[in-house]
Amino acid sequence: MTTDTLPARKRGVSLSALTDNSQIVLIGLLAVLCIGISLAAPQFYSPDNAIAILRQCALVLIVAVGMTMLLVAGEVDLSVGASLAFTGCVAMDVTNRTHSVVLGALAALAFSGAVGLFNGLVVTRLKINSLIATIATMMILQGGVYLYTREAVQNHHLLDAFTAIGAGYVGPVPIPVIIAAVIFAVGYVTLRFTLFGRYLYAVGANLRAARLSGLRAERLKLLAFVITGLLVGVAGLILASLMNAGQPTAGRGFELTVIAAVILGGTSLAGGRGTLFGTLLGVLVLKIVDNGIIILRWNQDLQMVVPGLVIILATWLDIVRRRNDAR
Amino acid sequence: MRKLLIGLLATSAVAVMVTGSAFAEKMPKKVGYVVNYATHEWYQNVIKGMKDRAAQLGFEVEVKDANLDAAKQIAAAEDFMSQGVDVLIITPVNEDAVVPLLRRAKQENMPIVLEGNPVKGMTTLVAICDYDTGYHAGVEAGKYAKEHLGGKAKVMNVGLPLLSATVLRSNGFMDGIKTEVPDAVMVHDLDGGGNPDRSFEVSAAALAQNGDVNVIYGINDSSSLGGLQAWKAAGKSQDDLLVVGTGGEGLAFINAIEKEPSYKIEAAMFPEKVGFTAIDAAVKLYNKEEVPSWIVSPTTPMLGDGWKKYYSVDGNVRTINWDAVNAVKAPDKCMKTAADLKK
Amino acid sequence: MPQSPSLSASGSASPGLARILFRRSEIGLVVALLAVILFFALASDTFLTVRNLTNVLGQASLAMIAGVGVAIVFISGEVDVSVGSLVAAVAIPLITVMNATESLALGIAAALALGLCVGIVNGFLAAYLGINSLITTLGTLFILRGGVYLYTGQKAIPDDVMLESFFQLGNGRLFEVVPYPALIAFALLLVFAYVMRHRTFGRKVYAVGGNPEVARLAGYDVKRVKFTCFIISSLLATVSGILLASRLGSAVHVAGLGFEFQVVAAVVLGGVSLSGGVGSLFGAALGVLILSFLSNGLGMLDLATEWQLVITGFIIIAAVGFDEWKRRQP
Repeated sequence: MTTDTLPARKRGVSLSALTDNSQIVLIGLLAVLCIGISLAAPQFYSPDNAIAILRQCALVLIVAVGMTMLLVAGEVDLSVGASLAFTGCVAMDVTNRTHSVVLGALAALAFSGAVGLFNGLVVTRLKINSLIATIATMMILQGGVYLYTREAVQNHHLLDAFTAIGAGYVGPVPIPVIIAAVIFAVGYVTLRFTLFGRYLYAVGANLRAARLSGLRAERLKLLAFVITGLLVGVAGLILASLMNAGQPTAGRGFELTVIAAVILGGTSLAGGRGTLFGTLLGVLVLKIVDNGIIILRWNQDLQMVVPGLVIILATWLDIVRRRNDAR
Repeated sequence: MRKLLIGLLATSAVAVMVTGSAFAEKMPKKVGYVVNYATHEWYQNVIKGMKDRAAQLGFEVEVKDANLDAAKQIAAAEDFMSQGVDVLIITPVNEDAVVPLLRRAKQENMPIVLEGNPVKGMTTLVAICDYDTGYHAGVEAGKYAKEHLGGKAKVMNVGLPLLSATVLRSNGFMDGIKTEVPDAVMVHDLDGGGNPDRSFEVSAAALAQNGDVNVIYGINDSSSLGGLQAWKAAGKSQDDLLVVGTGGEGLAFINAIEKEPSYKIEAAMFPEKVGFTAIDAAVKLYNKEEVPSWIVSPTTPMLGDGWKKYYSVDGNVRTINWDAVNAVKAPDKCMKTAADLKK
Repeated sequence: MPQSPSLSASGSASPGLARILFRRSEIGLVVALLAVILFFALASDTFLTVRNLTNVLGQASLAMIAGVGVAIVFISGEVDVSVGSLVAAVAIPLITVMNATESLALGIAAALALGLCVGIVNGFLAAYLGINSLITTLGTLFILRGGVYLYTGQKAIPDDVMLESFFQLGNGRLFEVVPYPALIAFALLLVFAYVMRHRTFGRKVYAVGGNPEVARLAGYDVKRVKFTCFIISSLLATVSGILLASRLGSAVHVAGLGFEFQVVAAVVLGGVSLSGGVGSLFGAALGVLILSFLSNGLGMLDLATEWQLVITGFIIIAAVGFDEWKRRQP
């Protein structure tokens, strides 16, 4: 699993190397996809479809920002899908009870933040591998949400502000897309230009060296988990608004989509390497493939096969490219 | 709240006792139900119907959940058999995957009632007619289209090709709507996975590809609601739209009918009644009585406020009106079944 | 970096049945398993019967067989999550060939051939091309499942010839007591445990997973060892898939959904570390048994799925946390 960390380490620590050309492959892929699909089906380029794609991307991107930070720090969170569903139910339920969108949103963030904190504590204090720890959290949340509500939590408050979060527009742009853009911008600056971001790379690239140089690795990782949790809260709120209900069955497989997008964007599972710009490209590629299969009226079962192939292919191309760079 | 429920059960029990022929029969001590997916609202209500009926007859129903895992289903049935239940009721995760189980049950003289779909080697099946359910809803949708949509029907089917039952519903709906609107077309045939977020996503993409749709049909409530939400998120008006849901699984459709102007038809499948009928069949098998190999549980389309006839809602609890539901007549035979799909 | 246990493995020749079967780290697991059994025996009067206990052994065997393979891949420092789709995929050649030829042997051969191919692909991508194995096998997990859906049109393929031997394979019992799958699982466990502990190949796997640099310096072909591990894992998952197909009497397109999580959780619970070089196959098998008895027992207590999920989640955290804590003690 860690056979190729040596070049990665170098890259992760020296910040100048972060804007490598790993994105070129993805940008090319994206261009080929867009051109190919729109040649075959002109509807692809309609404003309606662009908006539909962007809205789908928004949900994934919001969570992927946090997931990128986690992966950079050398950890992973598989519980985001289950947490997404649970948070949506909490948001709707609290808004129903209090008739306040603000309180509903705060409750959603508090809940998902707490889930992130729990994951972080289990991983950093109990030293459990995050893959296993978050599978366990996923099970707990999947069970827990049904203990919390058997049915979808319906919208009884009918507050327009709540509906606007997911389905509203500012001009022609859907509000979730704006939220995602803001979160992406903040995340990008954080990861790229702040000490926190730099430390995350250092911790993920070489934990021992980071500890020896005085970094409080555990605390940084904990923070990354909490950030991911909070972002899941934002996404859960948007989803509940979009679905006009808190759906305990939502979010199945969401975690895999997010992780696939992040990895496709060039972030290494071994930690210490990756950029948010790459993640953005990864999200776009996956969602455009998904959308294209429907637009082209292909068999929807391909929505499973194609992403699998794309991820393996992109990772392999990345390895080839890095090897050539190293020469 | 609980007392209220018990009270309601007791009154409905009296109503049922009169119609039921259960008096002279020996009662099993314990019936085991292996459900395929207990957290789904539909099965929650099937279980509710079973427990209600078993309580009336004075025995216990124990439930194990396969949680959509075919292997876990076999394990749960094995566990029941070694625990010594008198009758097993099973909703297969997959119909072909319980054939060996039926064979083993036969070897051990364990009577089995199936719920859902027919299986090779079964004794008896309690099921709704999926095709008929879709068909009758389709006929009503056609009438509505004639009256309110200018006689045009362009359908977006938020379907689930994974299951033969849900394919039958979609086919039935299209055949039904064509009896009223002969040139009705299916513009989109989608795989919404039966869940709301996936349905939303595929519907959004499909509507962007071609938004010229005026009927949304969902194979269950999550699918129709996911489709409707995608419609709303695309900024379209609900004025010339008809949404048809299937199942009547929980509170979601009631909420939608109350609040969404386009949600006009719900094909009710009365899950409680399915559970009720399955328990009656289990008692008959226990007494070694003759049972038909296919017992149909009734379904009917509910228009607008029509649901109030069958259900009453108090807060987050919905209560079935047994008198009204027991009065819905079931056909003796389904118009089409899964066997017709394989042809 | 954890120490390579290969040295202690070759040195543990001291007598005593318990010592031969279980090393110290496994005693905790045995105690945990006994505690689970004791708890449910007291809590439910239908739990502690020969019939129920043998049932659970049969039910556990599928995860145990695949778990042995996954554990070997883990020990070599890689990951294999493709097994969930593989168990569904191999049933297709098995059933179609059997339907066509009425021969169980040919069906099994076809299934193993597919399993071998998947193992070769996984191994080639992960070991030789160096693509992270989690990504590789996540990719094949998706591709295989999508392929199964496409090929079957999302319908199960029924077993038309109904061979008695095929039925007995997954459903029969030796002397009407011990399920055949349990016997097969136990036999495979013993064989591979022997290989991992007492043959050169096993030592290589531990060395490669524990410290690939040192293994390379010692002259081991790291890539080839890992490649072989992936093939073993896929072949063992194929055996699980064959037994599952017999229990389901058909090739079911939705079979094995989430099986990979179940197996990975059990293997890690059994003390096999995701970072490589640590753990034993007996530990992995005990992990599988603990989770199987837990699931059976919680079902006996008539606890709903949601509680089972919650409890299992907490138990995994507690058990793995305890294991990690113990490992850090001097």
